[in-house]
This record gives sequence, C-alpha cells and structure tokens, in this order.
Amino acid sequence: MNPPADNLPLAAVLRAANGLVAAGLIEDWALGGALAAIYYVEPFTTYDADIFFIPKDKSLAAGIPAIYAHLQAQGWQAEREHLLLHGFPVQFLAAQGLTEEAVRAAERLDYEGVSAKVFRAEHIIAIAASVGRAKDKARIEQLQQQAEVDKTYLADVLLRHKLKLPTP
Amino acid sequence: MKNEMRQKLAREPFAEKIRKVAQLLRLAKTFPRRAHGQPAARSGR
Repeated sequence: MNPPADNLPLAAVLRAANGLVAAGLIEDWALGGALAAIYYVEPFTTYDADIFFIPKDKSLAAGIPAIYAHLQAQGWQAEREHLLLHGFPVQFLAAQGLTEEAVRAAERLDYEGVSAKVFRAEHIIAIAASVGRAKDKARIEQLQQQAEVDKTYLADVLLRHKLKLPTP
Repeated sequence: MKNEMRQKLAREPFAEKIRKVAQLLRLAKTFPRRAHGQPAARSGR
C-alpha cells in the first residue's frame, strides 16, 4: 500500500462519506479506529481509516456492495477489505450495537472545510475494551492519559454494554 | 518522550496531527525497523 506523498487524503475520505449519505446509501457515519483516537491523543502511525456507518440497507450485506460500486465509480480502488483513495486504505464498517451508538453520539468537527463526525473518546475506550488486544489496552491507557474523558459517561457506556476496563 | 511533550502533541489541531501521521508513514517506509516500536510510531487501527 502506498502512503500519500505529503498528506493523508482525509478530507476527501470524509467528503466521500458525506456523499454516501447524500446518495441515500447510508444513514449516518463517523470516523472511528486509530484516526479517531488521534483526534484526542498524540499522533501515531496508522495505515488506514475506519469509517463506521449506519446502513440504510438492513440486510446482512449492509449495502456494502452498493457502497463499493458508488466509490469505485468515483475512482476508488478495491483491495481486499479496503477501498483505496490515492493509495490510502479506507475500511467501511457497518455499525451495530456499541459502534452504532458511537456513530449516533459522535462529535461533530470541521476538517479542512468538510463537516464530519468522530467517535467520542469514551466510545473509543469502550470499543477498545470490547476488543481487548494488546494495542487496544495501550489505546485505552493513552486516551486516559491524554484525552479529557467524561468518567461518568464512560462508566454508563461500559455498564450498558457489560464491559470492563482492563486492569493495568 | 516526556509526558509534557506528548500532551502538547495531543492538544495540537487535528489537521496538524494528521500531517504528522503522514510524516510518520513516510518515515516508517524509509526506515521501517527504526520507526517501528517507537512510542510515537505505534501502529493501530
């Protein structure tokens, strides 16, 4: 996978996600994964962007074939589980349960003139707790150290989704 | 890296942080073994 020449094409990715809403292919979306974490903490290396979306198509395929077709018609390239924009991999993930809640509660931001949404820090922590890999534990620790985490909100999310933070 | 420096980086505007991610990716490509494993170069999703 080729990293971009001078910057990540994130504005174009976010614009494309808005385009999926405008085209009626998805209901809503938000930036999740490592790039969402970077919204709150120091930058670190990540090789892709994760866009979590609430599907309009409630079938098992969640409208992903139509999303791929729409973006490929705009020049995106498919490579395994990613769609590539200018060589930068983007994964479109159908949100459900905790991630759907994260999309609905996401913070609004303006990124280089593009309206976007990014997961709240508390939801990133809860999702990391639900996954539980070593890098998820590191992400939780990093967010707790560097982000302004609403502990009451986080406790409520964890309780409702029957999750616990890893022990240090 | 000192905690103060990491906090300072965390408070930078998102667009600036994304530019730094792009720089880290270029470094990781140029110096794959050096960039790997350093705190500011952890990979993640």
